[in-house]
Amino acid sequence: MRSTELLPFVVYFAAVILLVATMLGLSWLLGQRRANKATNMPFESGVISVGSSQIQLSVEFYLIAIFFVIFDLETVFIFAWAIAFFELGWAGYAAIMVFIVVLGVALIYEWRSGALDWGQKTRRGLEGAPPIEETP
Amino acid sequence: MSGVNWWAIAPLLVLSGGAVLLMLLVAARRDTPLSWITTALILAAAALSCLPAREAIPQAVTPLLMADSYALFFTALFAICGLVTVIVSHEYLGERHGENEEFFLLVLLSTLGAVTLAYANHFVALLLGMELMGVSLYALIGYPDKLELPLEAAIKYLVLSAAASITFVFGFALLYAAVGVLDYPGIGAALASADNPVLLASAAMIVAGLGYKLSVVPFHMWTPDVYEGAPAPITGFLAAVSKGAIFAALLRWWMASGLYELPGLLTLVALVAGASMLVGNLLALLQDNIKRVLAYSSIAHMGYLLIVLVACGLVADPHLAKEAAAYYLVAYSLTSLAAFTLLGLLSRASGSKELASLDDLTGLFWRQPGLSLLFTVALLSLAGIPLTAGFVGKFYLFSAGVAGSLWGLLALLVIGSAIGLYYYLRMVYRMTLAGDAQPAAVERPGWPARLTCYGLVLAMLYLGIVPGPLMEILRTIL
Repeated sequence: MRSTELLPFVVYFAAVILLVATMLGLSWLLGQRRANKATNMPFESGVISVGSSQIQLSVEFYLIAIFFVIFDLETVFIFAWAIAFFELGWAGYAAIMVFIVVLGVALIYEWRSGALDWGQKTRRGLEGAPPIEETP
Repeated sequence: MSGVNWWAIAPLLVLSGGAVLLMLLVAARRDTPLSWITTALILAAAALSCLPAREAIPQAVTPLLMADSYALFFTALFAICGLVTVIVSHEYLGERHGENEEFFLLVLLSTLGAVTLAYANHFVALLLGMELMGVSLYALIGYPDKLELPLEAAIKYLVLSAAASITFVFGFALLYAAVGVLDYPGIGAALASADNPVLLASAAMIVAGLGYKLSVVPFHMWTPDVYEGAPAPITGFLAAVSKGAIFAALLRWWMASGLYELPGLLTLVALVAGASMLVGNLLALLQDNIKRVLAYSSIAHMGYLLIVLVACGLVADPHLAKEAAAYYLVAYSLTSLAAFTLLGLLSRASGSKELASLDDLTGLFWRQPGLSLLFTVALLSLAGIPLTAGFVGKFYLFSAGVAGSLWGLLALLVIGSAIGLYYYLRMVYRMTLAGDAQPAAVERPGWPARLTCYGLVLAMLYLGIVPGPLMEILRTIL
């Protein structure tokens, strides 16, 4: 790629910026402004929003998300291996078995440390844990 | 894969097998001393497995890893540093409420990442090692999860590290788009013939990503906060293993791809090195927190080390530069591990409070004569006083710089060391002052930690007084 070949890309980039800036700028210049009560409310398809967005979600949801990522990615690798099953032969089989065994160990570990149980009390080491201390 | 001599990657196998084993052990039985001893044994076995591995090298194990004496040397170094961290963390974790077993597991995984970096001969392995090391470190930094500072440090490290990784990977992507290969020798061959503006952008992004991990100016902002917040043994691990491994990987890439033949890149690295030496040392003067002083001094040390990369391009035989870097890394790893470990032990011994400000050091000599003396040796080695490993390391860097006629950088090295001397000796001076003679409830650290500290300090003095044997080893294997 020479620098002359990059030129169309630069022009395209500038055009995108220009287009977006024009659209936003023109609507700001020409658009009407209202200061109603409803103007600054979040638009939720006509439903009036309730409460604040600053709510606290249980950290359990985060754990579930992590498990999903771990065990979902697992299938990605196993599918990739399955497609090339015959080409990879025994070496591939050994490799994927190592992978699956390690995942199995991870599952055992999660199960034993109580990560699969819902609710804080059942998780080990968290009973009676003091709250975070403020350091000066 | 057939025909691979598995002995060549024995340390990697020991570490990964050990990690799985330890995980099963923790699942079966939660017992901190048991996991502690198991982890120490695994790390010792990994270090020892470098000896039989010597028979099987040099050998490329898949295109990703290159098992050679360089890899084995650094593997042994990182495994030993990991071992030291594990031994002394038991002391640190001692009274912590909650689950401590995972701490050791994470140190093991982080060391595995560092060892992967020592072997890496391909960008995929480089990224893999870097992430494995980094992700374990996020958790380790924030391990005291009931305190505010460690959590803040962990979040900062996580966010900035992720940003650095993104920059770094984007740099790879551009490089791959330009040259179409990802293995080091292939990149070298492609770079020699390529003339492409994209390469410059990719080089700058990769340097920025790695520069962040090495915490060189201008990517150094995270260092003081993270050093201050992390538990003392982990700060030592971060300084010794994490930075050492990244530098070892960078040096291999630098050599294998012949990057030192690109004048633009040399200028860039020289600028970064100069800025790090100057900014690190000057800002260290302004700190009144010991960990922050050491953090800024580590920025300066990385600046010194970068001189080697520049020197590679200008000397007739880059092997001298490689040797200098290896010696300096050994000296720096031992010294910074010792300094942070002793800082941790000293603060334990003088009460529950972490030794934080320079004022806390006042009169330490009279309260804790033994540990203070060892800490002084570590500080002197960091400052590069003769008879310590730090001096020989710096001397090596100096001779590499002289061979490459890098007078500007050498002048900065001298100025930086002079400034450094001031703030290291200031700490020693504080310790000798007569403090309030309150013999606080002195709690002697356990023998494993004390023995490790003596070992580290003895190694530092040995390398400083008799540098010949290690130099000889480095000359034969590098």
